[in-house]
Amino acid sequence: MAVTAISIDHIARIEGHGNVRLVIEDGQVLTCQMEVVEPARLFESMVVGRPFEEVPYVASRICGICSSSHVVTDLRAIEAALGVSVTDRTAALRELLVYGSFLQNHATHLFVFSAPDFLGHRSVFPLADENPALFDRALALKALGNELCTAVGGRSVHPITAVTGGFTHELTAAEYRSLADKMDAMADFAVEAVDLFDGFEVPAIETAGDMLAMVAPGRYPVCDSDTARFVRAGYDFDCSQVEAEVEEYPVGRSAAFLARARRTGSPYLTAALARVNASWGALSQRARYAAAKAGLRPPELNPFMNNLAQAVELVDVLDRCAGLCRRLAEPDGFEGSSEPVAFEVRAGEGVGFTEAPRGALFHRLAIDADGRVARANILTPTAQNVANLEADMRLLAEKLVGEGRSEAAIRLEVEKLVRAYDPCLSCSVH
Amino acid sequence: MSATNEKAPARVVVVGLASCFGCQLQITNIERHLLDVLGQVDLRYWQLTSSDPMPEEFDVAVIEGAVTTEEAVRTVRELRERAGTVIAIGACAVTAGIPAMAAPGFAERAASVYGDEAPEACGSLRPPAPVSSVIAVDHEVRCCPIDPLDFVDTLQRVLRGSNKAVPTSTLCGECKRNERGCFYGRETLCLGLVTRAGCGARCPDLGRPCNGCAGLSPDANVASARAVAARSGVDPARLDKALELFNTVDPSLASKG
Repeated sequence: MAVTAISIDHIARIEGHGNVRLVIEDGQVLTCQMEVVEPARLFESMVVGRPFEEVPYVASRICGICSSSHVVTDLRAIEAALGVSVTDRTAALRELLVYGSFLQNHATHLFVFSAPDFLGHRSVFPLADENPALFDRALALKALGNELCTAVGGRSVHPITAVTGGFTHELTAAEYRSLADKMDAMADFAVEAVDLFDGFEVPAIETAGDMLAMVAPGRYPVCDSDTARFVRAGYDFDCSQVEAEVEEYPVGRSAAFLARARRTGSPYLTAALARVNASWGALSQRARYAAAKAGLRPPELNPFMNNLAQAVELVDVLDRCAGLCRRLAEPDGFEGSSEPVAFEVRAGEGVGFTEAPRGALFHRLAIDADGRVARANILTPTAQNVANLEADMRLLAEKLVGEGRSEAAIRLEVEKLVRAYDPCLSCSVH
Repeated sequence: MSATNEKAPARVVVVGLASCFGCQLQITNIERHLLDVLGQVDLRYWQLTSSDPMPEEFDVAVIEGAVTTEEAVRTVRELRERAGTVIAIGACAVTAGIPAMAAPGFAERAASVYGDEAPEACGSLRPPAPVSSVIAVDHEVRCCPIDPLDFVDTLQRVLRGSNKAVPTSTLCGECKRNERGCFYGRETLCLGLVTRAGCGARCPDLGRPCNGCAGLSPDANVASARAVAARSGVDPARLDKALELFNTVDPSLASKG
């Protein structure tokens, strides 16, 4: 009897703390588990009893990388609960803030976390000597994401200026135009990034799970739609029904709850790949061409292609941000100002929904008549992804075992798959 | 520790405990300076960026995050034994920050999220505490998140030596120099009255009151701040509630209360 046990403690180059346990006996994969061992900080209990205005500030601290997304999601939950409508200008600024985190996250994930795997390195730093042009431009792209978050939110991590009903600070028209020019200047490199990741060979597997993404007719929405779609099963639901549609369940090996679709019982993936599958036709023209050239078209079911989908989103996001910034620079580009709108505090409940860089993010908040939080529920992209990741890891391991690949090769490919999911384990446990 | 007389660069490890990883991320966010900084040290372990294993020997341990498990207590003790210098970065490590908001009734809170039994993967939970409550900390880089240039500055002090003093005054003075007016004139709560200076009052400068992420200033007069709040039409109870954001387990808050 040949038993192979592969344990990867504290997987590197992902956000947070996670381990993989894989046991293969006589060519059969017996155990395949992703252990999420990130410390529990209990955010849902922490915000109960706090004034509602503090919640975005506190929830931002769930995750440094996804902080803009948590803030915008909570603001949407508060505004749904209190019946606040924001101006088009505020909505545009929030979109910029979310896109800033896409640029920052995707560039970090693709170049700092993922690319070293394919280039035969243990970290990104050897690239500084080996391919300085790539290294410099990769960091410049990440820096541009930070610059956008800093320009709009006041800081690259944990934005300052986004509050209930609007923003406390805005850029000048000249600053918006300068940002737009910087986005344009980076577009060619983003297209090259698509080509680069297209050139990396990945195992051919197809996930059996579903995919979940925000949708809106004719658009590629990230923070202004309430409709979520299970792409493969082919049905939509309103974000206010998220707990009725998605079941969270505990497993002892994970400090994060796992998730599955209630209607189908299926685990699912929510990420750039789900968005591209759901809204491919609404990508910017340049992004769609780059995707088509790389062979990324719906339905794309290989989870490794999430890397490529993120690269395509870089192209798309740069185009969108350049357009938004130019429109914000025009005196009548967007209706209304971004100054926080007046509102009354009342008892209410609402769900905020956004596409974070890693996928669909839901926050539910119940607020009492005094403006204090009565109840909170947070469903993060990574918590939703872990069950599907485990299923895909099993698929991958079975395939590689069947091909007679070495233990070292299986180990590396499994790590690459985990990184392709771009897990954010701090978020998943929260 | 001083590395000035040694030829070999200081061996540095970066470790994350209960946190959002934002402070480690802030270090990678100084893209233009990153290689200059890393060029001065021998970065032995940084799980966020590299798959190299944790080494046995090192000189400087950089710790992010609050201590929230017995396993983390052991980790920081081991780090203290091996490292000549320990730097705590960010509010979570320095004051236990936002995680400490869950400290009162911690076991009940865990039960409210996980039911009677928390998953094994959570480890042995204990109420969140700052790193300095477990081991001696040599340097602190405050705020949530850290200003990465503060980190570079602190690292320089560790590597090259410096007698630069850490500010103890309250944020109000720094904020006044920005000439943006005062939130209390607009009946708006702001924690700058009692929060430690050093950040340049970035939030008030962008129209957002201070939330106190640098922690309570040793010079803070909380009773007087309550009086200012009351005089300005802000309920002092709101000031006390807001101080919990970053000071829930700070013993000096009780003594100043």
